[in-house]
Amino acid sequence: MRRSTFVRRSIALTVTSMLVAAGCGMGTQEPAGAPAASGAAGEVELSFLVFETPNLNAAFWDAAIARATAKVPGVKIKKLVTPNVDRTAYAKQLDAAGNLPDILQSVNPAGFAEAGKLAPFTPEELADFTAPAAGAIDGKVYQLPYNTQVIPVVYYNKDQFSKAGVTETPKTYQELLDASEKLKKAGFTAMIVSGGGADTWADMYPLTGTVATDVYKKTPDWLVKRRAGEVKFADPDFVKAAGKIADLAAKGYIDKAGLSRSYADGEQAFRDGKGAMYPMGSWFATSADNNKPGFEIGAFPWPSDDGSPVTPTFTGGGTLVSSSAKNVELAKKWALAFDEDKENNDAFVKADGSIPAIKGYVPPTDMGPVYQATVAIYDQGMKDGSIVNAFSQEAGDASLPPGLADATALAVQDLITGKKTAEEFAAYLDEQYAKATQ
Amino acid sequence: MADTKHVVRGERRLATRPRPQPSRARRPARLAPKLGRFALFALPGLVAYGLFVLLPILMTGYYSLTNRNPFNPPTEFVGFRNYVTLTGDPEFLQALTNTVIITLIVTVLANVGGLLVAMLLDRPSKLYLALRGVFFTPVVLSSVVISVIWRAVLTDDGLLNSALRGLGVTDPPGWLSDPELALYSIAWIITWQMLGFCVVVYLAGLQGVPRELQEAAAIDGAGGLARFRNVTWPMLAPALTINTVMLLITGFKAYDQIQVITNGGPGTGTTATMAFQVVKEAFVGNRIGYSSALAAVMLALVAGVSVVVLRVLQRREVTQ
Repeated sequence: MRRSTFVRRSIALTVTSMLVAAGCGMGTQEPAGAPAASGAAGEVELSFLVFETPNLNAAFWDAAIARATAKVPGVKIKKLVTPNVDRTAYAKQLDAAGNLPDILQSVNPAGFAEAGKLAPFTPEELADFTAPAAGAIDGKVYQLPYNTQVIPVVYYNKDQFSKAGVTETPKTYQELLDASEKLKKAGFTAMIVSGGGADTWADMYPLTGTVATDVYKKTPDWLVKRRAGEVKFADPDFVKAAGKIADLAAKGYIDKAGLSRSYADGEQAFRDGKGAMYPMGSWFATSADNNKPGFEIGAFPWPSDDGSPVTPTFTGGGTLVSSSAKNVELAKKWALAFDEDKENNDAFVKADGSIPAIKGYVPPTDMGPVYQATVAIYDQGMKDGSIVNAFSQEAGDASLPPGLADATALAVQDLITGKKTAEEFAAYLDEQYAKATQ
Repeated sequence: MADTKHVVRGERRLATRPRPQPSRARRPARLAPKLGRFALFALPGLVAYGLFVLLPILMTGYYSLTNRNPFNPPTEFVGFRNYVTLTGDPEFLQALTNTVIITLIVTVLANVGGLLVAMLLDRPSKLYLALRGVFFTPVVLSSVVISVIWRAVLTDDGLLNSALRGLGVTDPPGWLSDPELALYSIAWIITWQMLGFCVVVYLAGLQGVPRELQEAAAIDGAGGLARFRNVTWPMLAPALTINTVMLLITGFKAYDQIQVITNGGPGTGTTATMAFQVVKEAFVGNRIGYSSALAAVMLALVAGVSVVVLRVLQRREVTQ
């Protein structure tokens, strides 16, 4: 009898321990409005998810966090770093485990916002931003629209252009093809595209350019129409945009070796003179200025067929706050302090080539020539009224459904390797769109 | 030769002869006092196993019968719909094919390579002892570290192609950028990583082959190949079983190398495995329910294949 009681107690203890531990493990996230977790001296500790790149390194984030924290008393920031640049995928993993950070940097809000996982910013909180409605979802802004990026800008190696006899930067798409042919004949790889390892997203930029010139120029709200089912990827305009990428690769102008290069390796390949053109987001500008290669770098916008200006841009990309943050109001206050801080923005401009979308902000006067050339492209786009969205980079109502940008980036590799024709690529995207919106 | 075979088989009969067992009436009486203490000692292990193995498996099974999507609530019970969808999903079928190819390559190459290396290293010398450590190093390294190293070797600008260009190859293969090659590059990396494990297991097996059997076979006139076929190889059957089952499991759950080196590419699904697809469906596509069904199928497949292979290989095992 004593023995069987002992056994029963042991089993009961095991089961109870399991249940208690399971309860602890599965409910670590406190609901909104719950008492804040306090650190030393009544501080609230808020977790902040950031990502590191060659331009935005650990030292950059630490300094930026320290400046914002100095402006918001009572906050202590716990920095979390994503394992790679794909912060949205990592945020989803954390969310699935019930550990969505309190504050997140540059995560795509699609999906999170609709599921009520993010706290919206009020119009009053957004009063200092030049495009306060950018990236709105059902009229609410969940991500601070703190900066604008031109995506893509075609950065080019002036030495190789000169040696190949390309005297003018291409103004039309045909001129881009002609320049590529001259470069190829001179023994240079015309265009560097990366996308290896986990950085598949880095292969998107030529397609973002062709979609801007061949689809968005004519139909700026194309993705809104796609959501409404009024257009499809298989429509002729999109197929033509995809066909240009397949054609550039088939003619040997796009370097297929890039499909094994990470984003950082792709940037390095351009620096090493392994290709003449590097279609990339405007964030490359300051990287080029800060770490000058042995040749001069120029910049021009992705050209359209008829040479009319088209400037694909993305405005947004700032900080987001979880609706279940330990203290939502304090987290929003800190996020605003982080994104509006002049020194932080100067640092973002210098480290990541951003074009801050904050009223009255003036960039540092000592910015380098590649950044100046990039800003000139943006300013010209504003003057021409040629600003359109940057495909696959959008946020808000006019964006791809969650997960589709990743699927598109993988399928772009099929276009480059010739595994898919433009028509097959477009049909694949329509299939994936249906799957993502089921 | 026939004598040698007879000795081995005879030993098996001796080894498998049943030993006298305590009577049914006496056994519970001896075990009962200890059971409580056993349970207490087993408690931490049971808790950990229950929490981190059983509970997730049960939760996966439950989710697989729902349409759970954290970004698209509410979660509803959908029965076996996810499993039916799987059977016609080209991405799943591609991932399954890739997984089977990787598993076959890894299982065969690592077994053959491991046996060859083990036979070369089965010598009593400090040099060979040191070499055993060298071959085993990849096994203790993180898969992510190994993937980063191999990516540096196999990218188009990497060490291998630089060496090939140095040797005059003008257009070396795109080991990771060519969709036709990338899957085999991944299989090779996993094989390389697992080779050391196979070497150690085969070395242990080789050292367990009785010298007198080898000598008897030699006296009977058996050459090196005949001795290997009729003495060494049958005695290595337990090592083959361990290696094959471990390699099968490793191949079926390949994920880290794909995530770090190719992200499932180049292109759509070229190197995506089942484990990669599980994570992609869950954390890129947000389809937790569907991803759980995929994980459940993967678990059943790994368990089923492992059990069948284990049974088949154990039948040919001989013991001393």
